[in-house]
Amino acid sequence: MEAASVAHAEHHHGPPPANQSSRVEPQLLGMLLFIISEVMIFGAFFTAYFFIRVVQGEEWPAAGTELPVAIAGVNTAILVSSSITLHWAESALKRDNRFGFKAGMVVTFLLGATFLFIQVNEYVHIGFSPQDTAQGSIFYGLTGLHGAHVFIGLLLLLFVTIRAFRGHFSSQSHRGVEVPGIYWHFVDVMWIVVYTSVYIL
Amino acid sequence: MATVETALQTRPRPQIVAHEARPEPSGWTSWFTTVDHKRIGILYMATAFVFFLVGGVEALLMRTQLGTPENSFLDPATYNSLMTMHGTTMIFLFVVPMMAGFANYFVPLQIGARDMAFPRLNALSYWLFLMGGVVFYASLFYSPPEAGWTMYTPLSSSAYSSGGGVDAWIFLIHLTGISSILGALNFYVTIANMRAPGMGWSRLPLFCWTILTFAILIVLALPTIAAAVTLLLTDRHFGTHFFDPTEGGSPLLWQHLFWFFGHPEVYIMILPAFGIISEVLPVFARKPIFGYKAIVVATVSIAFLSLLVWAHHMFTTPISTVVLSFFFLSSVVIAVPTGVKVFNWIATLWRGTIVMKTPLYFAAGFIAFFTLGGISGVILAIFPLDWQLHDTYFVIAHFHYVLVAGAVNAILAGIYYWFPKITGRMLNDTLGKISFWFTFVGFNATFLVQHSLGMDGMVRRIYEYESSTGWGDLNLISTIGSYILGVGVLITVVNIVRSLKRGAVAGPDPWKGNTLEWFTESPPPPNNFDVVPYVRSVEPMKDIRRQVERDTGSPQRETELTYEEAEPVGA
Repeated sequence: MEAASVAHAEHHHGPPPANQSSRVEPQLLGMLLFIISEVMIFGAFFTAYFFIRVVQGEEWPAAGTELPVAIAGVNTAILVSSSITLHWAESALKRDNRFGFKAGMVVTFLLGATFLFIQVNEYVHIGFSPQDTAQGSIFYGLTGLHGAHVFIGLLLLLFVTIRAFRGHFSSQSHRGVEVPGIYWHFVDVMWIVVYTSVYIL
Repeated sequence: MATVETALQTRPRPQIVAHEARPEPSGWTSWFTTVDHKRIGILYMATAFVFFLVGGVEALLMRTQLGTPENSFLDPATYNSLMTMHGTTMIFLFVVPMMAGFANYFVPLQIGARDMAFPRLNALSYWLFLMGGVVFYASLFYSPPEAGWTMYTPLSSSAYSSGGGVDAWIFLIHLTGISSILGALNFYVTIANMRAPGMGWSRLPLFCWTILTFAILIVLALPTIAAAVTLLLTDRHFGTHFFDPTEGGSPLLWQHLFWFFGHPEVYIMILPAFGIISEVLPVFARKPIFGYKAIVVATVSIAFLSLLVWAHHMFTTPISTVVLSFFFLSSVVIAVPTGVKVFNWIATLWRGTIVMKTPLYFAAGFIAFFTLGGISGVILAIFPLDWQLHDTYFVIAHFHYVLVAGAVNAILAGIYYWFPKITGRMLNDTLGKISFWFTFVGFNATFLVQHSLGMDGMVRRIYEYESSTGWGDLNLISTIGSYILGVGVLITVVNIVRSLKRGAVAGPDPWKGNTLEWFTESPPPPNNFDVVPYVRSVEPMKDIRRQVERDTGSPQRETELTYEEAEPVGA
């Protein structure tokens, strides 16, 4: 066996082709693991939230403050729609429908930006600050952590959109859309959890 | 050295020079730009070892202060800083990065891969780790942190630690945390995706199994501390109230978040050590590892259980007895898979053809004294007893038995075992054994007596004690022991420096190893392998030696190691 492989090596140039021992692509697997670590970060913030609200038994929201449940609900719908439009963009790309892909990316980006805008607007008008009480701290902590993720996600979407207009990606090669896409869906799902526990519960 | 042709006939050396691989850039600047897993591994190990020596000096300074009662060698603030920096350095800048260094170097080699899955991300991990260490040690020039490595609030709040030291510590946690998480997902993807043909999960070397588990634990535990220190940072500088009980926050929240990270961190440090021991023992017992599958299952179950035991660090906080009982039981249960491993290791040595070389010495020391640390851990898990022993030197003795006798012994075993592969030269065996005996005697002299001190009521983190306490004698023994331990480590440092130039030439496989890293040259070429064999068992090198023996008729499985013939030591 060894003699054979050694003899073969004489005609071989460059490194051997890498053996792929899993069906999941490295990039996808890496992003999934990264998302698990993100879930744990949110988990720690949720721990702080429930610790303050349940273990400490603090009133929620803090006395004399109110959370804009309805506006945030509309905002939730906007963010969820952006996940759907992103899916449209991806399926259009897989059918090589360039117009659908570009339109889907632009709409997704705009919906995400709208969400962030409304969120910042909410901060301006909500009437309490993170310095007021522990409840205020964790409200801004959780929604701010999520907002930071939306911002990063928007940057990724922006790069994908720019590349879409430059003619990158095709039905054969779309990993560069898929991996940021997973991240965006994660940001979206995480918002549903944040909205449910912070605004509705 | 023999020519390539004759060597191929007499020993398994099928690797050939790469024909068209891009030449590695040379010169010292190439270390800044390298994305080669082997060079990054060396950077990791060298940097971590320097931090080990720094942390060791800090420990010796503290032991000098504590050697006699009412000593005034150090002032209280300096003592507190040294204590904080010692703990932080050893955990975040030595053990974890050292394990990451071993993993960087040997995981791709053991699974027959050319590099890690994401080489550039790998380089980023290293530089983030180094910068974390630099920003932390930069605090020496303004105000080093004094709140202990656990940074309990309110001691670490801006009211009680107003200097920038705590912020430097927070910055260190952020940087090394990102570094570890990126490294961890890189290890996981590498092991999942890049194994050699034929290497199913049941043929994965045990070191890789422990690194896989280490990676999962890092991905699950490190984000929690990253989040916690972020909350601490905003509390300190932006006026939030997460840990402030006067405004609805709670210091207990910090302890929960910290220990939810802190306990898995113990296994992040010790599981790769288990892996190194599981690699070293079968090679030097000249027989297969006993209970491969049991060790894998034990590794994974320890990792799972480690996520459920964090509050055993918090037995003295107001928690209901039912909850305390849960954490007591879950902590005790960890002893079961750990015991399975210890018995597997002993059974591996049992009736083996023992080859008494330095790596085996350290591995045997590991088994004996890590087990002692485990037993004192079970004692501490009994919460009524812990109410007495909490925050005493008994706890110090316990976790130093786990981390010094455990992790450091395993790291030294790993250094003596793998140094020939990394450098192509052997470490001196006699010096190695001398180093072992010094660390062995020094370690036990330092920490065995601390069990007694703890039960006598000496609490941790005090910078002096009165002579009327009667703790002076045992403390003096402990201090003398710590210097002997320091000498032991220095002997290994001398050995490393000396062997880099003058060690006997190792050849590709000086130990007759079992795993694929011994299939390539020492040090391995940039592309690792030109030919990756089909893996048929958990010990592929044994299969290859048998094959060569059948093909050539020359015996390959002699138990005597023959590397000394290559070149006399110190020529």
